[in-house]
Amino acid sequence: MLTACLVVASLLSACTPTPEASGDITEISFWNGFSGPDGAAMEQIVRRFNKENPDIRVRMQIIPWSTYYDKLTLGLAFGDPPDVFVLHANRVPEYAEHGALTQLDSYVTSSGLSESDFVPKAWIAGLWDQKRYGLALDCHPLGMYYNLKLFEEAGIEKPPVTQEEFLVAAKKLTKDLDGDGQPDQWGFAITDTHLVGTSILYQFGGGLLTPDMKQSAMDSPETRAGVDYMLKLINDYKVCPPPGASDAWMGFQTGKIAMAPQGIWMIDSLEKQKDLRYAAAPFPLMGPKKAVWAGSHNLAIPAKISARRKDAAWKLIKFLSDNSLDWAKGGQVPVRTHVLESKEFQSLPVQSQFAKQLAYVQYEPFSLLINQMGTFGDAALEGALNGSEPPSEALAKAARRVNQVLARE
Amino acid sequence: MKRQQPLPAYGFLAPFAVLFLTFTVVPVFFGIWISLNRWHVLDKAPTFIGTQNYSNAIHDDLFWFALLRTGFFVMLAVPLGNALSLLFAVALNQKFRGTTFYKLAFYIPVLLSVTAVAVLWKWLYSADWGLLNYYINLMRSWLGLPKATIAWIGDPKYAMSSIAMMSVWWGAGGNMLIYLAALKAVPKEMLEAAELDGANPWQRFWKTSIPTIKPALLFGLVMSVIAASQVFGQSYVMTGGGPAYSTLTVVMYMYQQGFGQYQLGYASAVAYLLFLVVFALTLVQFKLLGIKRT
Repeated sequence: MLTACLVVASLLSACTPTPEASGDITEISFWNGFSGPDGAAMEQIVRRFNKENPDIRVRMQIIPWSTYYDKLTLGLAFGDPPDVFVLHANRVPEYAEHGALTQLDSYVTSSGLSESDFVPKAWIAGLWDQKRYGLALDCHPLGMYYNLKLFEEAGIEKPPVTQEEFLVAAKKLTKDLDGDGQPDQWGFAITDTHLVGTSILYQFGGGLLTPDMKQSAMDSPETRAGVDYMLKLINDYKVCPPPGASDAWMGFQTGKIAMAPQGIWMIDSLEKQKDLRYAAAPFPLMGPKKAVWAGSHNLAIPAKISARRKDAAWKLIKFLSDNSLDWAKGGQVPVRTHVLESKEFQSLPVQSQFAKQLAYVQYEPFSLLINQMGTFGDAALEGALNGSEPPSEALAKAARRVNQVLARE
Repeated sequence: MKRQQPLPAYGFLAPFAVLFLTFTVVPVFFGIWISLNRWHVLDKAPTFIGTQNYSNAIHDDLFWFALLRTGFFVMLAVPLGNALSLLFAVALNQKFRGTTFYKLAFYIPVLLSVTAVAVLWKWLYSADWGLLNYYINLMRSWLGLPKATIAWIGDPKYAMSSIAMMSVWWGAGGNMLIYLAALKAVPKEMLEAAELDGANPWQRFWKTSIPTIKPALLFGLVMSVIAASQVFGQSYVMTGGGPAYSTLTVVMYMYQQGFGQYQLGYASAVAYLLFLVVFALTLVQFKLLGIKRT
């Protein structure tokens, strides 16, 4: 079952006319995990690329994220890698360090892409050891979706921004409708322990690692303050159900939860819910400083392919970046400044709201070992928020495990 | 008649022997070698580090935690599952109409893939609209109790027990068939003789049937301990090892290390440590049940 990857191959090339001299055509493969409506948007863009570049034929292959990295890593390790592929920003270091990626600096300079046309944080996201190995296509921060009907019922006019506004709104929106003493409409929910928990920890100045990435920050007072705040929302203010108790995202879709933080990629599941009137807003401020979790889809080229294929691959990457307005329409936040400032992007209701956070988004630490340590923090948050472990113990344990991995490598 | 030359026999064996060698014997020894190396999948070549992976695992509290969680699962699923298998087998050994139907009904889950079963039970266990919570609350409302929502696999306290319960449902039919076959093979004369000597049904079962089917019981027990020690699919599909590591089993941990973090050497070391534990457990069971190797 593990190896049975659901591979959806779309042979986009079928639509383009075949030039007579087939020897002049460079055929390249492009792998990504866009198995939702984002995949359809990407297919459109790639189809246009194929039409405009008759000398290159791109074959796009969509592999669901759940098995994507298994297949990609094995492809890179044992031959047969794709010519262009998507790599999440925080995985760039691991692949770059092992020499699996082509350095892109000369391509970036020669094609005139410059930092001034990029969101600064996303520009940095493809660098490792000050060299470029990936180019960010987008930036997907966590944001907040809210239910317009429930907001109207509670008499709240605009989504909360500050810590105070958030608490007032959350309390107003939490209601016991059937009078059994238990709320059945919640103001807020931790829809995803990792994304929401990490964002709140960042706002309090905590997180998995210290800024120098030399040791764990899970046992720092800042992380503790963030966890205590979440516990307060659950136990003291009672505006948030304990995570894991029920499917919070489903709760938002069915109108039981008024404010639900989630990623930009969830728009589609809301669009399908016809009776739901919702809007999006930046993730509210809960701690002392502005911060919110974010990731990026980076485009990368493997190290071991021919120069001719690399050139064709770069052409595709540049094209995708230049045309990221179409990508935005498919439900993403682009990172090219001129696209972000365009009227067309500003008219996208959810995307433009999420984009307001771009100045203060926080990527996960760019550490070689992030993949090995990430779960320690999540387990601690789950244990502490579920009440199955005292927070101090859960956090100390996570810190010890993180430090152990840091010491081992 | 001339004795058959051995050569054609080897010829017939060859297809199996080649597959067995390539996919079982060689990987077993290759795995030992990998476990002595540091090997990230993307590394050009593995680095020999001796027993470093093993000592890392022994100092890794999560490895021990996973071992304990696996032990907890084995302690729940094996006795319960085998008791249920035996109960079904004894019941189906009676003469009544429709035994074939029940045999089939109890056995069908065994034929399903773990993914199908896990997805099915994930729905049954759903906190919001799971059938299980629905019936519990139906009963509670009859008794005049307030509504309760049990998160089952979403709650670290219940997650592993929930997975064990589902595994019992999934697997009980397999051993049932083995026990039923063994019970059918208990000589009628022996049971009749016991009856003539004045043994009641209870005594006939414990003093005559059980000792006779002991080899089958041992087989069932050993196989289910081995299978349960390697539990993986259930937590992989239903919980991903969470929440808060409550369903992290050793094989799940091995998978995460090997295929999530690409630490092939470390994952192999974990696999061999699990092998040692299961091997020891099997020896203990042989000893306890007093089966001498002949």
